[in-house]
Amino acid sequence: MIEPVWRITWFTIACAAGATLLILPPGVVLAWLLARRKFPGRGLVETFVSLPLVMPPVATGLILLMLLSRRGRVGALLERLGIEVVFTWKAVVLAMAIMGLPLLVRTARAGFEQVNVRYERVAATLGAPPARIFLTISLPLAWPSVLAGAVLAFARALGEFGATIIVAGNIPGATRTLAVAIYGYAETGQDSQAFALLLVSVSIAFVALWTANRLVERSTA
Amino acid sequence: MLHRWLALCVAVLLPAAQGVPLVKPITVSAAVSLTDALTAVAEAYAKTGGTVRFNFAASNVLARQIVSGAPADVFISADEAQMDVVAAAGLVQDGSRVALLRNQLAVAVPNDRPRTFHSIREIAEPAFKRIAIGDPAAVPAGVYAKQYLEKEGLWTAVEPRIVPTGSVRAALAAVESGAADAAIVYRTDVRVALKATVAWIVPADRGPRIVYPAAIVKTTASASEANRFVNFLRSGEAARIFQRFGFATAF
Repeated sequence: MIEPVWRITWFTIACAAGATLLILPPGVVLAWLLARRKFPGRGLVETFVSLPLVMPPVATGLILLMLLSRRGRVGALLERLGIEVVFTWKAVVLAMAIMGLPLLVRTARAGFEQVNVRYERVAATLGAPPARIFLTISLPLAWPSVLAGAVLAFARALGEFGATIIVAGNIPGATRTLAVAIYGYAETGQDSQAFALLLVSVSIAFVALWTANRLVERSTA
Repeated sequence: MLHRWLALCVAVLLPAAQGVPLVKPITVSAAVSLTDALTAVAEAYAKTGGTVRFNFAASNVLARQIVSGAPADVFISADEAQMDVVAAAGLVQDGSRVALLRNQLAVAVPNDRPRTFHSIREIAEPAFKRIAIGDPAAVPAGVYAKQYLEKEGLWTAVEPRIVPTGSVRAALAAVESGAADAAIVYRTDVRVALKATVAWIVPADRGPRIVYPAAIVKTTASASEANRFVNFLRSGEAARIFQRFGFATAF
């Protein structure tokens, strides 16, 4: 029984899109705070958000697994609420979200930093509250970078493997993403299936990255 | 604003959650090398009214998941060492551990330079400049390969030519691509290789004892169903399927 390529592809895209939507609101607010506000622990927050970029994904997966499994703190709480995360699609989305977050925050932050700070100050002197300044000035002006960051996070999510296989497993029909399926086929010697999925994976990532680069170009032009 | 985002998240994610059966199947964490054989066994098992879902990964990954509290009902490991890890954590249900399958080591060579060994000593010939094996520090197949070469008194002679790889499949891929002149892998791996051929099958009485153990995880919530599946794995019907995929049964 070979899972159809379209099903794995659709599942991967849906999870990556879900992960991107999930991190977009907090990620954008965080990027703006890091770009514009001085607050205690700013350096710590900045470093913490970027950690998944440099940590081995397997280690990130292990931390998530320990937190979320039945014996973990968060996991025990979720179990009482009847929510299962480990070995389900929710774990896939979560792993993808965490791995994509630094890319979104860093790219969006660069966009917010390019916005002329005078516009924001003028709005503030005219009595606009910070939330309004953010929504009507900063966000619209930094929008191409925010979008580019979201696309980068999406592309990273598509290829996520290390954390996914630890916390979500390789469960055919339930948690199998393109990257995980490629690993499975390569490990069982089914190279032609692995290459077919690789081709799909590379095509989607290529389009996503190309889009992200065009958006960044437009925002810096 | 927040509500709209959540609604959007749900709309995107819901289709991914569909197709989940109403009756909860048992989760079987199994060595990735067993993917094809076990998928076929599960199809036969389904006819008896049981459903399983598999989680396939390297045995050390599976063991870590179980020890960390991941919800697995049955564990099928590619080596005893990883089952020992789970047992040491007190997570193997008493009396449920069984030897399921046996495998053998084989020497694979590229199929454009086929060889047939009369003795394993031939691997020490200068023609074999690079010999790929799974990393003996971590990969079970590599541990077995090193044990075997040591037992045959060949390890010191070939050690400078050993290329350790991250998995047994990577060792085979090195031979298939021509990057290595030989690899020591499982017999079942060479069976499905397109660009490699067997030069030597390690005789069962000379090689290391390679056993795939199976056990029920102590924390399972479906002990009777897990037990039924493990019994099915040891049935004549399952044995025929395993043999079809090149495994010898150990029961």
